[in-house]
Amino acid sequence: MSTQEERERLELLQGTLDLLILRTLIFGAQHGQGIARAIQQTSDDELLVEHGALYPALQRLEERGWISAKWGISSNNRKARFYSLTASGRKQLGKETTKWKRLTAAIGRILESEGG
Amino acid sequence: MFGRKREPGDFRSEIAAHIQLEAERLREQGLSEEDAGAAARRSFGNVMQTEERFYEAKRWLSWDQLWQDVRYGLRMLAKHPGFTGIAVLTLALGIGANTAMFSVIEAVLLRPLSYSNADQLVSVASMWERGGVTTPYSCSPPDFFDWRDQNRSFSSMFAFHTSERALTGRGEAKRLRAVVTTAGIFPTLKVHPIIGREFTAEENRKGANHVAILGYGFWQADFGGLPDAIGKTIELDSEPYKIIGVMPRDFRFPLRDSDAYLPIGFDDKVMTQRGAHYLSVLGRLKPGVSVAQANEDLVAIMAELRRLYPDKDGKWGVQAERWSRRLVGDIRPALLVLLGAVGLVALSACANVSNLLLARATVRQREMAMRRALGAGRLRIVRQILTESLMLAICAGAASLLLAHWALLGIVRFGPKDIPRLASVGLNTAVLTFTLGVSVVSALLFALIPAMRSSRMEVGSLLKMSGSSSREAGRARSILLVGEVAFSMMLLAGAGLLVRSFVGLRSLNPGFDPQGVLTLDVSVPDAHYKNSLALEDYWDQALAKLRGLPGVTSVDAVTPLPLSGDDFSSSFSVEGRNIPEKDQQSAELRWATPHYFRTLGIPLRKGRTFTDADRLGAAGVLLISETAAHMFFPAGDAIGQKIDFGAGGGYEKNKGEIVGVVGDVRHFGLDAPIAPTFYVPLSQAGMDGASLVIRAQASPAALGQPARKLIQEIDRDALVGEPVMFDSLLADSLGQRLFYMMLLGAFAALALVLAAVGLYGVISYSVAQRTQEIGIRVAMGAARWQVLSMVMKNGLEFVLLGLAAGQGMALMLHRTMQGLLVGVSATDALTLLVAAAVLLLVAIVACYVPAWRAARMDPLVALRFE
Repeated sequence: MSTQEERERLELLQGTLDLLILRTLIFGAQHGQGIARAIQQTSDDELLVEHGALYPALQRLEERGWISAKWGISSNNRKARFYSLTASGRKQLGKETTKWKRLTAAIGRILESEGG
Repeated sequence: MFGRKREPGDFRSEIAAHIQLEAERLREQGLSEEDAGAAARRSFGNVMQTEERFYEAKRWLSWDQLWQDVRYGLRMLAKHPGFTGIAVLTLALGIGANTAMFSVIEAVLLRPLSYSNADQLVSVASMWERGGVTTPYSCSPPDFFDWRDQNRSFSSMFAFHTSERALTGRGEAKRLRAVVTTAGIFPTLKVHPIIGREFTAEENRKGANHVAILGYGFWQADFGGLPDAIGKTIELDSEPYKIIGVMPRDFRFPLRDSDAYLPIGFDDKVMTQRGAHYLSVLGRLKPGVSVAQANEDLVAIMAELRRLYPDKDGKWGVQAERWSRRLVGDIRPALLVLLGAVGLVALSACANVSNLLLARATVRQREMAMRRALGAGRLRIVRQILTESLMLAICAGAASLLLAHWALLGIVRFGPKDIPRLASVGLNTAVLTFTLGVSVVSALLFALIPAMRSSRMEVGSLLKMSGSSSREAGRARSILLVGEVAFSMMLLAGAGLLVRSFVGLRSLNPGFDPQGVLTLDVSVPDAHYKNSLALEDYWDQALAKLRGLPGVTSVDAVTPLPLSGDDFSSSFSVEGRNIPEKDQQSAELRWATPHYFRTLGIPLRKGRTFTDADRLGAAGVLLISETAAHMFFPAGDAIGQKIDFGAGGGYEKNKGEIVGVVGDVRHFGLDAPIAPTFYVPLSQAGMDGASLVIRAQASPAALGQPARKLIQEIDRDALVGEPVMFDSLLADSLGQRLFYMMLLGAFAALALVLAAVGLYGVISYSVAQRTQEIGIRVAMGAARWQVLSMVMKNGLEFVLLGLAAGQGMALMLHRTMQGLLVGVSATDALTLLVAAAVLLLVAIVACYVPAWRAARMDPLVALRFE
């Protein structure tokens, strides 16, 4: 990918935020700010996550029953709403991951052939 | 997760926590307090937008908007009371008619019978073929026993007949309604006496059957509800019956209160009476057994019985039908036709309101456009219209209950008495649910076109008020109008057919003259009259006494009385014709006193009628009806034939020589076929019961009570019925038809009014829209009649289209209507023509008013009109 040189962050592709949230929660319950942080750090600050955009996504995932939420106390003694992965969320993550890998591989192949 | 609503406050605090956490993290990285806060907020993005999205996603918005829509709708409806009033009234008429009709259907057809697991109760009937039609008929005791003992489908079965008994020995005899039944009634209906005991199987035998179980009401009234009634004795028809039990308060059988339940008391010869069909049979299906399976079972048993007893059972079949279904027989299809008809009325009302809304939508175009321009989505606009419509419909639904209530009062008061449970109609939960459902559905129906149209409108063109869409609205309106006219046409045609059928029936000659004749049922306890001679003497006395009443011109007796619902038929043999018993023909048999034919005005066609000399001990004589004479003696040689009906009805055999031919009588009602009939002199048969027919010069109705008194003076234990005028019996026999005709007539009238109002509205509206055009035409020299005919033509085009469509639909009525019609075809051209003419006439008036107004318009005013 040629844009790697630019230090500008990548905007998220539509629909990928759900996948990233689910993936982040695989390591345990986390609150919204923590999820945003984790995505940013894990991607080496490559991905731009507008924190505000996170919440409708969390809302959606919660409604679908893939994550559950409850209020708790953060590591620095703040009240925060913690999200954790449900069993069906775990399954969904597997499905989405496979789908994503196939998609990127396919797009990659196309881009390779054009570039080569 | 879905069910629980998350409060917006909870969401807001989550976002606040997020920003704080982020700010703390940034502070830890070394940013100043102030910078950290700002950066945290920056990285979060638009807080308000996020909250809004939460709000919307969580449907908080929808509820708020709905509330907004409702308040706005209320304001709009209140601001236009004319529109609101007309729309609500129109809908209330449509919905009210449906509510009333559905109440009737609910009470008569849908409400379960009030016995436990009533859907398992099945009526079993012998099937008899007469004139190509197989009709259910009463059953004979041996057939009943064979069905009961051989079937594998029923857990229990019983046979019964209803009867009137005289409660005697306590002064004037009182009439009791009795059910004479086998002991199987208790397990079959799953009912038990509240005090006392049930019948035993032994009590089903003659001689052991003088026990009675009382109905709750009779027990309360005559024994003060005291338990010591058990063991006491009552006298029925001058014979003692021991009281052994009392039935529960809410037990009504068959469908009405009965005073006493008596064991049937079969004698030893009962198994030889296979030809005696007088029992009703009810069974309870075993769990999981269907009516069809029960039928198969019974039909197989009956086939075997036919083989075993070809002379008695050879012509009989059997049919099981759910009891609730059997009770309503041919009432059911009639009510369903009416329900269909009333549905058309509701559709017409919807079409009218839809038209109103369309007209108003044009006025409200600017408003809608403004809302669209300010960011209301299409869906939002549609929802706004639906909300307003729903509110209209709910108001109308509520108002319709009042109309339905009045309609039901009328139906209970004037409806025919022979529709079971009709008197129990009421606005109960089922009906209210139906009304709500109809209201909602009609709201969706009448809002559909206006909603679709407003959501399709383009904002730009709307704000500019270009007229491009009003043509489309015009088309929608015309389609609605054409449909409405077609429905009216159909209903008018249907109502017209019923009217023609009814008028035709009314004008039929019943075969006798019921005017000025009073009827009175009398029966005497046979315990008092041990032989036919005593009975002959009793009737002689009774007639002689009544003839002495002032104003009475003649008194005679007959049984069974025409139109009373009772009949008696039997097979007979003709001397000289050697026909095996199973192939013998059967005919109706009546017993009458000598001058009965003169009293009722039944004409003598040939030979002679009975005379006072045709008494017990004299040679047996018979009269034959014209139809019977044609049917059985086509050569015209009926008189002089010797006929033997065997025993039946009274003490004596019914045999003798035919001495005359008399005119036909429509015994089963004007709408039933004429049955071949023989007459036997009453006194030659030894009858213990008959109907007196009293012809008087003036007000025979007033003679009723004095006549009863005189009869009771002869024998205090005689059971004397209520006096009934014969002509009211005749009217009652057409009661159901009159009822259906009135209902369909009312629906047709309603549809006609709706169509006329709709037509008037649409034409007026189009005239208003074309004011300028008309003004120009008049200014350019168009004559008034030209304007008039232009507008009229415009309206009548719809009407003619609707008439054509309606004629087509009316022709399709053929199948549904045929069962309700007698003597008129469902495609009767005259009726269709008259219906079309009536509709056209009304339409012309409805169009003429706005057209005339258009023609009178002052061109100057019209041109300035905006």
